[in-house]
This record gives sequence, structure tokens and C-alpha cells, in this order.
Amino acid sequence: MSDQENTLFLLGTSHQVASLNDRETIGLPNDSIQKFYLGMEKLTGLEECLVLNTCNRTEIYGAGDDSFKIEYLMEYLADFRDLELEFIQKKTYRRTGAEVVRHLFEVASGIDSQMVGETEILGQLKKAYDDASERNSTGKVLNRLFQKSFQAAKWARTNTGISRGQVNLGNVLCELARRIFGRIDQCRLLVVGAGEVAESALEAFKSRGSEAITVTGRTFDWCPLSQRKPDELAQKFDGFTLAYSKFHDSLHLFDVVLASTASAKALLTKAQIEVAMKKRPSKPLFVIDASVPRNVEEAASTVDNVFLYNMDDVSTIANENLQSRLSEVDRCRVALSKRALRLWEQMRTYPSLPS
Amino acid sequence: MNFHDVRDLLWLATACYGASFILGMVKTRHRFPNVLQESPFLLILAGFFLQTRALYFRGLEIHGCPLGNGLERTQFILWSLILAFLLLRLIWRLNLLGTFCAGVSLLLGSLSLGLKKWDFPYWQADGYTRLFKDPWIELHASIAIFSYGLFCLLAVVSMMYLSQRQTLLSRRPGFLGPYLPPIQELDAAAMRLLAVGVSFLTLSMVVGIMHWTRHPEFVSHIKLTVTTALWIGYLLLFVMRISNRLYGARFAKWTIALFAVALLSLSLVSSKTKIQAYKPLPSSPLAYQF
Repeated sequence: MSDQENTLFLLGTSHQVASLNDRETIGLPNDSIQKFYLGMEKLTGLEECLVLNTCNRTEIYGAGDDSFKIEYLMEYLADFRDLELEFIQKKTYRRTGAEVVRHLFEVASGIDSQMVGETEILGQLKKAYDDASERNSTGKVLNRLFQKSFQAAKWARTNTGISRGQVNLGNVLCELARRIFGRIDQCRLLVVGAGEVAESALEAFKSRGSEAITVTGRTFDWCPLSQRKPDELAQKFDGFTLAYSKFHDSLHLFDVVLASTASAKALLTKAQIEVAMKKRPSKPLFVIDASVPRNVEEAASTVDNVFLYNMDDVSTIANENLQSRLSEVDRCRVALSKRALRLWEQMRTYPSLPS
Repeated sequence: MNFHDVRDLLWLATACYGASFILGMVKTRHRFPNVLQESPFLLILAGFFLQTRALYFRGLEIHGCPLGNGLERTQFILWSLILAFLLLRLIWRLNLLGTFCAGVSLLLGSLSLGLKKWDFPYWQADGYTRLFKDPWIELHASIAIFSYGLFCLLAVVSMMYLSQRQTLLSRRPGFLGPYLPPIQELDAAAMRLLAVGVSFLTLSMVVGIMHWTRHPEFVSHIKLTVTTALWIGYLLLFVMRISNRLYGARFAKWTIALFAVALLSLSLVSSKTKIQAYKPLPSSPLAYQF
């Protein structure tokens, strides 16, 4: 390894090398980031540094002079987190030079993420960069590197299929609703029950601007204690609550109905849906049965203008989209690798010029 | 390639539509470089220009609106389809509508050009007189054919509706499903197209009736019956749609079926006397076709 290569380095851990427990052990608590940065300032030869700390990865990017050694940082991290140095060595990866550039490009574009192609990481990376910039801990090397990684991420998402299709259940449901109704923000959503899937779907709909959210539940009418959960769910998403006894009669008022209860029998029958559809004949109805055992009669899918999906269907779509993304990873990796190498060559040749 | 030959120009226009269709389909799955992003639309524009030029030359040849044989009628409808698409594109946009229009133009355009019998040279007949001597009847025919173009666009939108619906019902991502417009938007677009199409057809009927009352001898009973039946058919479809008696997939299927009937009945609504009067000249280069 040349000295020049040693000027850029990375120390990190992620789902690729460490279990959730190990990542939790190494990861930095949010309130200790400031202290961590202050401690790094004292490391010999370290000129620039940036900390990326998410639920899935903790990475420290840095640039230093010839006197800096990555071992200093490992020792500092072990000391800071009160861990054995051996544990840090075992559960982290170290990169230098062009490898750092390539790794960062892959992280930014989402191909190194647990959920391939997810876009959240780019936002986290930008936030980490802004944070480091505000602390004046980045300089010409990291500024250039991170700006280029944002461009590389945009290029990868635009020119390859790594972000094609939705893979999160809530997002898949939103995408299906978009294909039926067009504008999600104008969809009226009714949630029956308050399970995890319901919450995930509500989050996805809410994030797309959906305002007309209503929650109902079987226990709404007779059990004051059980009322808590649907009530909380409605409050959390600024939604309304509806008495369960009235929900069948109000079915025609909603565009999307999500059933997510533990009921052993069908809560929505074909006949009930037919009655509702007579009141909104030309408007489609999207019914999602997120319950096991199922809460909506399968025969309801034969009613004209009704689109019924159960969790198996949604999972199948998510998995197929994920497969489609995975098939693009290699192509994306090769292209990003070329870009990374080019940038690294430029950084070495013209260290002070913007590339 | 002769840029003054009607058939050559029409073949070239069909090739442009074909290329636009292929590129449009490829574009759904693969990102094009920025300079090529609009290439499918530009190819449609090129095809439309070539088709317009071809129909203009044919119009000069026959001294009137080129609606005298199967090729001319089909090409005029396809021209109207693309014109309607280009005009409506200014008001509202639907993903892949241009690609689907280009696909239909490729299919019907190739068929009309491939079947040489459809392009019989009726204007070379002994004693050929202009197809439409009266400008009112020419106006009637032009508006009617434009309304057919709108109904063709309606059938295209309905095909897109059925494709999206089928993909949603199959509960799989599908090849085109994620890229097609939402079914509710397609439904709204179909409704608007039907309303505009029926308005144009009604206008053409009014103009046609004005001509018929003055010269009933020029209008055959078959033409009168078929035209009226089609008008009633589309009017009925419109009434049933706005009263919510027919909607969704059944409505889409009806619009496609009715357009197919309209297309098949075109030969019946042409001026039969002119076709029957045709006797090919011995020197005619197209005489071998008969």
C-alpha cells in the first residue's frame, strides 16, 4: 500500500460483517457523537473525518497525513465504546484509497444496504455530511469525495434498475393504490384493526400525503380497554375513528380498505362488498386483506371494479421487485467501480483541484 | 425511396411509428440518454408529417379528400388518431399513450399497405369525377373520419385500461403494469374521448343530413343505415356511461368492439357508385391488382 493511498481511509461496521447485537455494541449513541468528534481531533495526523451512524452501519471516513495510522482510530473507537480492540478488529472492515471511494459509492447508491436499492441511506449520508461540515471536520478531500458519491448515487438510480419497484410492504400497497387511483393523497383509506401491517401501510400512505385516514376495530364498541390501540393509531396519523358497527354501511365511502385483525372469520363478505359497490359502481375499490386467517372472502375479488390483495400477493410482488433489483446489482457495481477508480486517479493527480 | 410516391411515404410513416413503438416499449424498462429521451415522440411527429404529405399528394391526385378506398380510409383514420393524440397531449398526458397509438398505427398501417387490393386506383377509371363534388359532403366526411380517429384513440385508451386491469387482477408486477397510467385516469380519459368523439360524429351527421336532404340520390340506404346505427351505438354508449349503467372493463370492451364494427363498416359507408364505375385502364400500372 502506498503512502498516498493511506491518506484516505475508512473504518466501519455494517450488516455485512456484524450481527445486530454487535452493531448495537459498536454503534455510537446519538448524544455521544459530539464527544466522539472532539476525541478524534486529538488523533495524530488526522486532518478530516466524518461519522456515518445509522441503525445498520457505523462508519468513520477520514483523511490524514503520512503520520496517521488507521490503528489509532481503532484504538480510539475501542476505548470510546469500552470494547476489546480484538472485538473491533473482528467486527469491522478497514479500507484505504480507491477502496474507500468504491465503498462509499456503493453505500450511497444503496447496493450495500440490507434492502438493496433503498433510498433512505442517501438521506442519512447527506445528513452526516452536513453535520460534519458544520463541525468543520471535512476538508477538500472528504468534500470532494462525498459530493461525487451523491452524484454517483443519482447516476446509479437513474441508469440502472437497483431502485426499480417497491420492496417495502407499505410502499407496495401505495404503488398498487397509485396504479388504481392515481393520486394517493386523494385516496380515502379505512383501516380495520390495528396490526403491524396496518401501521406500516398507514405510514406509507401518510408519507404520500394521504389525509383521509379512518381507523376502526372489532373491539371498538364493547371493550373500552381495547379501544386504546386503534385510537392511538388514528391519533398518530391524524386520522378519524369509526364505530365498528357502522363500518359495513360506510364501506362505499372509502377507496382503500385494509383489514388487519386477528378475527377467525371473514369480516367482509362478497355480498357486503357488492352492496357497497352498488353505491359507487364506476369507482374502483382496493381491498387489502392483511390478516391470517383471512378477513375478506376470496370470492369478493370477482366483483367488478374490486381489486383484492392478500399478504401473499403483496409479498410476491415485493419479492419479485427485490429479485429484479438484485439482478442489477452486479452491473451497477461494475459501473460504480469504474467511476470510483476514475475519481481516485483524479484525486491523486490533482489533489487540490475540483474534479 | 421516392418522396413523392404516396405508398413509399406511407411505408416510411409506418416505419417511423414502428420505431417509435419499439423505442417506447424499450424506454419503459431502460433509461435512455437525455438526448434520446424524446425520440419516440419525435418519431411520431416524423411519421405524422410523412403521412400528411402522402395524403396531401393522394388528395391532389384524386382532386378531393382521399377517402375512396380501404387504404385511404384506414390511413386517414390513423392520421386522425395521431392528430387527436397530438392535440390532446397538450391538454392531458397519459403514460405510454403515444407508444400504444404508434403500435396501432404500425399494425393497421402495415395491414392497409400490405393488402394491395385495398388501394385500388378508382381515380383512374373511365369518366372518373371527383369523389366529393359538394364541399359540404367533403366537410361531412372529414369530420366523420376525424371522429373515427377519436374513437380509435378511445379504443387505444380502453386497451390500456384492460391491460392495467388485467395486470392488477393477476396480482403480479407485470411487464407494463407499473408504467401504464392508473385505471381511474384511463377511465376518465375514455369518458372525455367518447364525449368529444360523439360530438364530432353528431356534427358530421348534421352536415351529412343537410347534404342528404338536398341530394338524396347520392346516399345509399346501406350507407344511411350503417352511419345512423354507428351514431346511435356511440350515443347509447355515452348515455349508458354517464348514467353509470356501463363502466369499467365492460365499457372498455364495448368501445373496442364498436370501433372494430366502425372500421369493418367503412367500406359500406363509401360512395359505392364510384367503386362500381371503376374499370381499370389497360395502361394503368396498377391494373395487375384486379
